[in-house]
Amino acid sequence: MNRNQKIKLYLFLFLFSTAIIFAIMFPRLTLPFGFAYIIYLMARPFTLKLTIGSKKQRIGYFFLMFIGIAFLFFPVFATLYNVDTDFSQLSNQLPEVERILNEKFFAFKVKVFEKYGVRLNMDPVKFIVSKLETQGTIFLSHMPDYLSSLFEWMLLVPMFLYFFFMESQKFSRRFLEAVPNPIFEKSYVLFSQFNTKFGEYIIAKFIEATILGTIVTLGLFLIGFPYPFILGFVAGVTNILPYIGPVIGFVPAFFIALLSKDPNVSMLAMVVVFTIANLIDMILVFPLLVSKIVNLHPIVVVVSIIIGSQLAGIVGMIVIIPFIAFFKLLFREIYKDLSVNI
Amino acid sequence: MSYEKEMMEKAGRGEIPNDRLEIPLLKYLWDSSPLSFLTSKESHHDFFKKISVLSSFSDNEVRLFTKFLHRREFQPNEIIFKQGDSGYGFYFIYNGSVNIYANHNPQSTEQGDFIIRIEKRQYFGEMGLLEEFNRRSATIVAAEPTVLLGIFKPDLDRMLELYPVLGAKFLRETALIMANRMGQLTREIVTLKKKVKELENQV
Repeated sequence: MNRNQKIKLYLFLFLFSTAIIFAIMFPRLTLPFGFAYIIYLMARPFTLKLTIGSKKQRIGYFFLMFIGIAFLFFPVFATLYNVDTDFSQLSNQLPEVERILNEKFFAFKVKVFEKYGVRLNMDPVKFIVSKLETQGTIFLSHMPDYLSSLFEWMLLVPMFLYFFFMESQKFSRRFLEAVPNPIFEKSYVLFSQFNTKFGEYIIAKFIEATILGTIVTLGLFLIGFPYPFILGFVAGVTNILPYIGPVIGFVPAFFIALLSKDPNVSMLAMVVVFTIANLIDMILVFPLLVSKIVNLHPIVVVVSIIIGSQLAGIVGMIVIIPFIAFFKLLFREIYKDLSVNI
Repeated sequence: MSYEKEMMEKAGRGEIPNDRLEIPLLKYLWDSSPLSFLTSKESHHDFFKKISVLSSFSDNEVRLFTKFLHRREFQPNEIIFKQGDSGYGFYFIYNGSVNIYANHNPQSTEQGDFIIRIEKRQYFGEMGLLEEFNRRSATIVAAEPTVLLGIFKPDLDRMLELYPVLGAKFLRETALIMANRMGQLTREIVTLKKKVKELENQV
């Protein structure tokens, strides 16, 4: 590499690192940008035909955006209505839940005292309830911020999405032209593979969550279990997290079954519904949709989810998996190159 | 099918052509006009029309094909790729020329043994496009200021998705290039074997 080529390479790497630092420093812009990018990647298989083939691109994009938004949001709104009903019923029953928990813990304290003569002075129910109240108050006090962020996202996400649909081809070509020759071939192929993997992973997880959520909702509804919509919704959303998700999704239903005095509420039937839903997911949906996209060891996945949650909360837990899959690919390529050049 | 024929057929079926002004189409018509030789700069379209292996492509197919290409500029003595590097792309020499070297030692700065110089309208790296885990079999270095037009694995995937006929045609042409190279290699091996036998007989 001569001097000019070296300067070009270092300048490119400097600008690229600056862009990443800028992205980390301004999450209010980066997060909606990233979210729009995820939607774009999900829609890309359907838009490819429009980007080059169709002569009426703009109309095509608007049509696709409209269909996509309707497809994404209609089931959410339709479910939210029922979830809201379930939620208000559940919150009305919270004092009752607190009373039952207090009763059970008091009985447990008496048993411990009778058997071991130890007096338990702690009150975990009170502690949990006060914690929930504090968190609820904090959440309500931050509500104006959440609402302003929501409106900001409602403005920015469609704007970025339109940019991705209309300009991303041109923009990525310009960007690729600036990539120095020594790293062009590899970075272009890796970037394309990352885009494809990321888009496929997100869409596959979305479909997987919808299928699992629907099965759980239907199953709970059929066995007459309370709050089928909210529990199905929670099971679907938590299922996005591999390995840990199904367990988290099961916990609320387990507690409702445990605390309910209704003779129609059967713990066994609920466990059967969750088991069937997760078996369908494990045997059919996951192998067909997801496993080929992300070929990672289970321990790597669990550790990645923990790291993702530390870095960026729930969003981090979801998006860390394709990133780790990409880094695996990247390190494999670097390692292969090093082993040839040694 | 040529673009003109496609338009005629569409008109025959009563399909109204798009009334929007299409700059790429105008550019293509301008480039492919009989008077285009008057302009000193050779367009991508003219360039590919003169490449023998792509001769089965219609005008419109050449126009579509050029959309998937990446233009890369190299300075004299700049390495395009090294022997043993992972290969993902197939390059056409649009301007300039390149030297091919074999037996490159990664630990030395020497480029290896000079094999051949290839020039404008020739191509290299087709194995990188087709093989899943390709390793470059030679080192390629720009001999002068060189412009290459490259097509890479993601572009081929996209081409096959968007224009399957064009993608299949391009793959057929690439397979033909490889078949020609294989034939050439076989002939060289036969000649070398003959020479070895002659030398053995002399000894």
